[in-house]
Amino acid sequence: MSEPVIKIEGLRFSYGSKEVLRGVDLEVSAGSIFGFLGPNGSGKTTTIKVLLGLLKPGAGVCRIAGLDSQKDVMTVRRSVGYMAEDQQMFGWMRVEQIVRWVGSFYPGWDEKFVQELLDFLGLPRKSRVKSLSKGQNSRLALLLALGHRPKVVILDDPTLGLDPIARKDFLRYVIGLLQSNQVTVFFSSHLLYEIEPVADYVAILKDGVIAKVDKTDQLRQSVKKILLRGAGDIELGGVGGILDVARMGERIALTIEDYNEARRGEVEKKSGCAVVDEVDLNLDEIFEAYIIGNRGQRVKV
Amino acid sequence: MCIIFIRIEPSSPVPIYRQIIDQIRYQIATGALKEGDQVPSVRQLAGELAVNQNTILKVYNQLCTEKVLKIERGSGTFVTANRQSIPVAERKRIVAKLLREAAVQAIHLDVGLEQAKEQLEKEYEAIKLLKNKTGAR
Repeated sequence: MSEPVIKIEGLRFSYGSKEVLRGVDLEVSAGSIFGFLGPNGSGKTTTIKVLLGLLKPGAGVCRIAGLDSQKDVMTVRRSVGYMAEDQQMFGWMRVEQIVRWVGSFYPGWDEKFVQELLDFLGLPRKSRVKSLSKGQNSRLALLLALGHRPKVVILDDPTLGLDPIARKDFLRYVIGLLQSNQVTVFFSSHLLYEIEPVADYVAILKDGVIAKVDKTDQLRQSVKKILLRGAGDIELGGVGGILDVARMGERIALTIEDYNEARRGEVEKKSGCAVVDEVDLNLDEIFEAYIIGNRGQRVKV
Repeated sequence: MCIIFIRIEPSSPVPIYRQIIDQIRYQIATGALKEGDQVPSVRQLAGELAVNQNTILKVYNQLCTEKVLKIERGSGTFVTANRQSIPVAERKRIVAKLLREAAVQAIHLDVGLEQAKEQLEKEYEAIKLLKNKTGAR
């Protein structure tokens, strides 16, 4: 395989005494759409800022598009497209003005491409930025991130605050404009169901480390909820991959990762309880299990 | 080129590629899609549904191995009606797998075998009726 486009190793970062990132490791391969998930305040934006060289990490190395995030800050900004969370743009400017103004910062700005994009994204050139709808606003921010034709694009929660129609519309442009042109996309969000249709891979950030990375459809397949029959106190005896344990009357519900025949055998043997049902979960349930699951090994009445 | 109506349910536990496969199969079963119809390109359908192109690629590949679709180099992807080319045993296996899920639900919900059979017949007839209607169009 070719060298990953983004590679993060052992990344640590603190705001004062509060350690937000506690050893983040990630690799993103070329041409893929990578969903970066985590609850609000989990450090997604911090990771992105370090990756872009906007923040200095306590420890660790980030490489993006073959560059060192800390040593090559200016080159990184010229090679990578970045759409910030809740991106602020000067409201008094007209669309064509802000496009020209942002373009002046980039030596590789492609004016012809930008003019095509304005039409493609349906952006009114003469309108003032402050008069745009939320959907138009996010499309404009996307355009400003793409004008220098980057091969890597970072979108920090780009659909935040959009209604479902504008959100789908935005995702459609991500597919049509970026994936179609083999651009690598690093896309953060706090909604797994939003990421699922578009992402090749998903990573879940929790408590400052990556709790899970997998192919999106694999994640669906491997995480199951299983029901065990058994009353009284139960000791699971060190079964691996448990994300959540809950008692439901006479049954115990386990949410478990990497589930297959072998795991099922392990669960039955170690707990001494029979598996009576296996249930598929939707992505939000899977996400929830990773984020707030109760990973205990003991089930009491 | 024909239009495929597909609705993706994000909160469903059924993976997206399965949802799309099921809906294409359903539309062929009801006659909404007919032999020789050209389906949208991977890129087009991905754009329309706002779904990753690799997902659509997976759907089309799967349907091609099941001989539901056929890729003709240079001209596009088409619906085939050549289901007979799949061995009977394989066709039965596919149906059996789906019926097993139905059987599980029936037992869970305490719906008797006779009632379930009756229901299956009803559904079968309803789809055939739809197919005849669209065929007569």
